[in-house]
Amino acid sequence: MAFFAVSQTAFLLAVLSWRISQSEVLVEHLPLTPESLTVSINSTLQHLHLQWTVHELPYQELQMVFQIEISRFETSKVIWMGNYSTTVKRNQVLHWSWKSELPLECATHFVRIKSTVEDARFPELRFSSNWSSWEEVHAHTPGHDIKLIFPRDKLVEEGSNVTFCYNAGINQNLSCYLDSELIHGEQLYSNIFTFKLNNVPFIREAGTNVYCAVNYALKDGTVLFVSKVLEEPKDFSCETQDFKTLNCTWDPGVDTGLVFDGQPPQHYTLFESFSGEKKFCEHNNQCSWEISPDLQETYNFTLTAENYLRKRSVSTIFNLTHRVHPKAPSSVHFKNIGATNATMTWKIPALGNYSTLLCQIELRDKENALQEHNVSIKVNGEFLFSELRPDTQYVVRIRCANAKHVWKWSQWVTQPLVTAEAVPSKALDVWRRVKSEKGLLHVTIFWKPLSKFHANGKILFYNIVTKQLDKKSELKFQSIPAPANGTELTLNQGSYQIQVTANNSVGTSLASEIVISRDSGNEEVEEEKINGTKDGFHMSWKPQSRGRTGYVVDWCEHQRNLHCDLQWKNLGPNNTSTVISSDAFKPGIRYNFRIYELSTEKIAYLIENRTGYIQELAPLDSPEVKALNLTSHSFTLSWKDYDTEAQRGFIQGYRVCLKSKATQCHLDAVEELLPDNSTCCKHDISNPKQKTFLVENLQPESFYEFFVSSYTSAGESPVGTFTKVMTQDEHSHMLMRIILPMVLCVLLIAVMCYWKSQWVKEKCYPDIPDPYKSSIFSLIKSKENPHLTIMNVKDCTPDAIEVVNKSEGTKTPFIGTGKTLTESEFPKPANFYLLPAQDSSVPGPCISFVNHTYRETACDSSSCAHTPVTDTALPCQLRLLASPDNLQKTLEKTHRDSQGEIPAGEISLNYVSQLASPVSGDKDSLLISSPVPVLCSEYKMQTVVPSCLDSTVLSDNGSLSSVTLLGQGKHYN
Amino acid sequence: MLACLCTVLWHLPTVPALNRTGDPGPGPSIQKTYDLTRYLEHQLRSLAGTYLNYLGPPFNEPDFNPPRLGAETLPRATVNLEVWRSLNDKLRLTQNYEAYSHLLCYLRGLNRQAATAELRRSLAHFCTSLQGLLGSIAGVMAALGYPLPQPLPGTEPTWAPGPAHSDFLQKMDDFWLLKELQTWLWRSAKDFNRLKKKMQPPAAAVTLHLEAHGF
Repeated sequence: MAFFAVSQTAFLLAVLSWRISQSEVLVEHLPLTPESLTVSINSTLQHLHLQWTVHELPYQELQMVFQIEISRFETSKVIWMGNYSTTVKRNQVLHWSWKSELPLECATHFVRIKSTVEDARFPELRFSSNWSSWEEVHAHTPGHDIKLIFPRDKLVEEGSNVTFCYNAGINQNLSCYLDSELIHGEQLYSNIFTFKLNNVPFIREAGTNVYCAVNYALKDGTVLFVSKVLEEPKDFSCETQDFKTLNCTWDPGVDTGLVFDGQPPQHYTLFESFSGEKKFCEHNNQCSWEISPDLQETYNFTLTAENYLRKRSVSTIFNLTHRVHPKAPSSVHFKNIGATNATMTWKIPALGNYSTLLCQIELRDKENALQEHNVSIKVNGEFLFSELRPDTQYVVRIRCANAKHVWKWSQWVTQPLVTAEAVPSKALDVWRRVKSEKGLLHVTIFWKPLSKFHANGKILFYNIVTKQLDKKSELKFQSIPAPANGTELTLNQGSYQIQVTANNSVGTSLASEIVISRDSGNEEVEEEKINGTKDGFHMSWKPQSRGRTGYVVDWCEHQRNLHCDLQWKNLGPNNTSTVISSDAFKPGIRYNFRIYELSTEKIAYLIENRTGYIQELAPLDSPEVKALNLTSHSFTLSWKDYDTEAQRGFIQGYRVCLKSKATQCHLDAVEELLPDNSTCCKHDISNPKQKTFLVENLQPESFYEFFVSSYTSAGESPVGTFTKVMTQDEHSHMLMRIILPMVLCVLLIAVMCYWKSQWVKEKCYPDIPDPYKSSIFSLIKSKENPHLTIMNVKDCTPDAIEVVNKSEGTKTPFIGTGKTLTESEFPKPANFYLLPAQDSSVPGPCISFVNHTYRETACDSSSCAHTPVTDTALPCQLRLLASPDNLQKTLEKTHRDSQGEIPAGEISLNYVSQLASPVSGDKDSLLISSPVPVLCSEYKMQTVVPSCLDSTVLSDNGSLSSVTLLGQGKHYN
Repeated sequence: MLACLCTVLWHLPTVPALNRTGDPGPGPSIQKTYDLTRYLEHQLRSLAGTYLNYLGPPFNEPDFNPPRLGAETLPRATVNLEVWRSLNDKLRLTQNYEAYSHLLCYLRGLNRQAATAELRRSLAHFCTSLQGLLGSIAGVMAALGYPLPQPLPGTEPTWAPGPAHSDFLQKMDDFWLLKELQTWLWRSAKDFNRLKKKMQPPAAAVTLHLEAHGF
């Protein structure tokens, strides 16, 4: 250990002695110290520029290394140390620059330098000089303004880092902002602050404002201009159209220009290395270069974009003949245009004799390129198009390029070409529809317009020639101007041949022929249902005859329109099925298809008929339903059929939906929930022909609601409004059974009463005779006094009195005039009886009363006593007995008056019915039994015969009359 | 709506059909000049907003009020009220004419700074309108028999920022140019309104408050 310490000390002494000897050598070479050091500042670039010399260089040149120290604020604050190696020549002024991150205006910088010879050729000179003295440098700030913040108006590229510094100076409250955002600076020295912005973005062309203020009072500001990074020009290329000028183009990329004194937009220069020529480009995306007359073959261009911060270059080298971009062909024309060919001519702007051009010709219709041709030309070109379509519009376009090396094709030049017309190349597709009506044939001829391909021109008119086959009549011509597609012919019954041709300006097409037979239009074939699919209607049929030339299926595409737009499809003779499809087919519309077989005579026979829907839909509406035969327990629903054309599908049946209070449905019904969350019992009627439905087993006096919907294979018609119905009362029909007969009976009785009213009146309430209106007056008047109004007894002229003497039982002859009743005239054998005014001395007469108003009760046995007849009292005084009382009084009076004269028991008063048999009843009262004929029974009046009275009375004229029992014109005495 | 009605009522006396009393005098041209100043005020409000936004913060901030510094050469519109009242017609018109002559020249320099085509179009349009106002003031002066002021040699306004003139100061100058222009247009409206009333029968006195209007 001790040994180690001693040896270390010895080593250090040795080194020290070596260093002393070296210092002695340096002293000898002090002139190599850098001298005349000057430091300058470039504020914009933030560069310190050093300049110095090395005096008395021992050799012509020496390889030297300079050590440089840079201090900031103070010499002791060294911020950078570095070496600069260079070969120094004698009397050479050396330059070196240092870039400061901090703006140089913010601080005083100090620089010193020393040199070391490090030249291998002169190892003896290997030593360092002394440091030069510190050189102090301040950034010069022109103007009188107090500038506080640096750098001033600095320009950087996007993404750069920038360090700002500001001198707060005496402004203690100085705050700095970057676009209004407060910046917190870092104190660098005393009142010098700094802040750094990293990765600065481009914000605006006018730059980003950095400014400082004291209490919001602006003190100073600067602008940081951030430029976008200059891009390398893209797609740089040059070409010539005329071998006189080269046009160079490129994509410049972003514009790096800034306003104010930021930076102008980048500029471009073109440099050609072979010729050494350079050109400043006026535009930022193109530049033209004059080709020298000697036609330099190869060119090497360098395009340089440059702004304040950067340069970007691209180069291209090419052979001039490989950069030929011809101008577009000119004077493109057509000549000798026919229906199928035409000749095109064109010119190319002169390229001199330098190259041959290849021209590309394209013939197009509206959609496709039909022909492509390549033609080599020098200046003028010509090409013949053939195999063109007549009356067709083509577009011909042409472009050219250098035949040896296709760099770029010229622009296309387009020219339209329309070929001439030709005769139509195809016969028309013709069909017909025939209606037989009132002995005439209404034939509608339809034809499909020729396609443009077959028309070969504009069809001007259609010719129709009609020829009757039965007779040798003249042909009938008809011309229909285009664009018609049909016409109507009215023909007499018979067979006709109809030919149709299409005509354009050049000629006529082949004739299409159809034959109308005598029976056309009268065919009836049963209709069959078919179902359509998304592919169309599939249908097949059975051949009807062997000698057929084909089939035609026709249908109306717009079935519901007035003009149904008849369509037809021609099929070969061996086809027995087809699919009819059309975009016009719509769901829910019924289409009818008729299948015709064409005979060899070109007559069409209807063989089958189909109807169907491409897609069935549910009915839109429901049938209108009426409720009939409403009873207490049932009612019947009835509805009518739909219109067939209006149906959106084949009706498969109906469903009756019945709502009631009943909670359960009958067995034949299904409970269904309705959209309004109510339920109904649904009855299914699977027979579409059934149009009635009996709803039974109902409750009397209950509300029911019903709705009838129809359904197709696609579904059911929507639920509509329910109709309400109320069942009848259960007893109402029983009441009807009772009341109706009763009413009828009452009516019958009333009619009977009315009919027999006279009889009833007579029976129930006979008219009371009015003495003033008695008909006797007419009799009296006629004889005696025409002004007589009241009949007096004295006015009576009794004709006869019949007295029946019971005791004698003999017939008393009439006295007086001696006439018998049969002899006396009695013009009106009225139903009254005259009481004879005869001498009371005549014994035994009996008075008879005949009056239908006389009531039996008025003359009963008690009241009807024997009535004596006296002379004075006129016992037989004639009176009309208005009432039974009167009668009774009269009778009583008469009885009293006659009591004394007529002996009681000898004369009796009896009711004698004329209907009664003379032998019936009391035989004692049968006073006139013998003379009364049975034939008198038709008299229904009763006769009161007072047997007690004298039978004779005196008339005015003194004659006697007998009481007559009126009947059959016979009078009894 | 109310503003339109007021404008119509305000302009009613200027309807030629209602004021045909022989020679119309300078009245109509004063009215036209007044209308033009109001129109330019409106136009400048839009232009200044766009341009100051283009300069960026803090120039587009409403309370930004930088020191004039380099804008000292701009003609000042602000004047003491008593001084303004005491101005005679000729002096009043002369000051207006000289101010707009200078401002127009400065304004044309502004166009160089504009980066967008739209801004350049707006500036060019405003310059044309300002040129029209200048012509209109010249017409009023001619009608009143006042000679146009002749520019003194060597006092031609120039827009030549020196090498020491920083871009930030340039932006401040632009700010002051627009602000001064705004104040001048406001003052001119008062001037021509006063002049207009003076040319007409005496009317109610005008109270004028001259204040600097911020943008």
